[in-house]
Amino acid sequence: MSWLTGFLKSSVGRKFVMAITGLFLCFFLVVHLSGNLLLYVGADAYNHYAHQLHSNEELLMIAEVLLFGAFALHIYMAFSTTIENISARKKSYRVVESKRDDRALPLTSAADQTMMITGLIGLFFLLVHISDFKLENGWEEALAGQSQAQKASIIVSDFTRIIIYVLGSVALGIHVSHGLGSACQTIGFNHPKYTPTVHLISKIFGVIVAVGFSSFSVVSQFFPDVLNFAETASKSL
Amino acid sequence: MSDSDHNMTLTLRVWRQDNSEARGKFVDYKVNRISPHMSFLEMLDVLNEQLIAQGEEPVAFDHDCREGICGACGVMINGQAHGPDKETTTCQLHMRRFQDGQKVVVEPWRANAFPVVKDLVVDRTSFDRIMGAGGYVSVNTGQAQDGNCLPVARQDQESSLDAAVCIGCGACVASCKNASAMLFTSAKVSHLAQLPQGDPERPQRVLDMVAQMDAEGFGGCSNTYECEAACPAGVSVEHIARLNREYVKASFCSSAQPTIQASAD
Repeated sequence: MSWLTGFLKSSVGRKFVMAITGLFLCFFLVVHLSGNLLLYVGADAYNHYAHQLHSNEELLMIAEVLLFGAFALHIYMAFSTTIENISARKKSYRVVESKRDDRALPLTSAADQTMMITGLIGLFFLLVHISDFKLENGWEEALAGQSQAQKASIIVSDFTRIIIYVLGSVALGIHVSHGLGSACQTIGFNHPKYTPTVHLISKIFGVIVAVGFSSFSVVSQFFPDVLNFAETASKSL
Repeated sequence: MSDSDHNMTLTLRVWRQDNSEARGKFVDYKVNRISPHMSFLEMLDVLNEQLIAQGEEPVAFDHDCREGICGACGVMINGQAHGPDKETTTCQLHMRRFQDGQKVVVEPWRANAFPVVKDLVVDRTSFDRIMGAGGYVSVNTGQAQDGNCLPVARQDQESSLDAAVCIGCGACVASCKNASAMLFTSAKVSHLAQLPQGDPERPQRVLDMVAQMDAEGFGGCSNTYECEAACPAGVSVEHIARLNREYVKASFCSSAQPTIQASAD
């Protein structure tokens, strides 16, 4: 099996693992967001979805193990390659200027320069999110006896969570706007007919992730009636 | 070129370093009487004439053909590899691209795998070692007419040649935020992977060249594509995707094993 360890130690192999896990996590984001959007359909639809999801204990466990594995590998590879990448140039330049045309505006393609930062903000968001929704850490009282839709509505409209969830969603959106296209290139999918579309889809996907996941907190602030599923989930929180 | 053409003055901020162990520092020089028709290297020649006349050590820089094909020259000019022009080597960059009185910062390529030898000269033998690890064909492919006897589809020839145009100057490494040699290595892998002559050693080549690239201490690719923009030969990042495909295929679908230890030093 030395060939496999050799592959996993090489720069190309590690990036490959990073790309595969990244693509899997992108797929997860699509599924997750689709489920979340049921909140706009109505409390019943969302509750039914949550119930269906949790009634499949075995499947849920497999999904959670896969997700945890993918996150762990993705994060490990991120740190290991970033440390190596930074240390590959001990002496830096006095002046650095891009030669890419699309870098004329400083923010147009800054996503690839900030993958570590947006990834870390995304990770923080993820940890807070798991603590809120899965462990209900610190929410025991407020969420007691509430339906899944009511719970979600209460959490996303909390002041500190609005900041964390919006910031986290935007960071995640920026992250995947480079990540999706980059992962395709890393697994070797580069084709004159498809690559421009892949990069476009990548950018659109980034916007969908950023807008989609942050929308719940934003909507809870500006259109409180939309996500107001019960008296206890009202603006008093 | 009439004497009145020599009408530009530049302030150069040049990296000076006596040898690979020395600390090195930036030194400012004023260069007068530059013609806009001069190449950047000819401008450095003028500076060196000036320094020699003053009894100072001239600035060391690499150069050979001075017609854009050898890949010997290459410095960071105002933070850009080979200066501001696209698909242009430093020797083909003309002074008309600069303004009279402009300040120009000139630095050597920066990467651990490219240690500075002196001033603007860096040691790029790490590229040679990557080539030595597999960037060749072992069989005798004969003379030119034998090459014509092997049927190679036109589009494969063209695609292979798009990779073969790499002159090994190191601008890709210099411009990459990770000091990655992926564009160089992928060009060499992609060149031979698309030709029948390179086919028998295809899996071994990519495994060994990547192992050598990693051992040299280059960073990894994070698909920022600065390399492609900086490449004076216009090598595309699609070759990096091909290297990735070749590497995964060689790792999982062939019996080849890398013969080079992947650890650095």
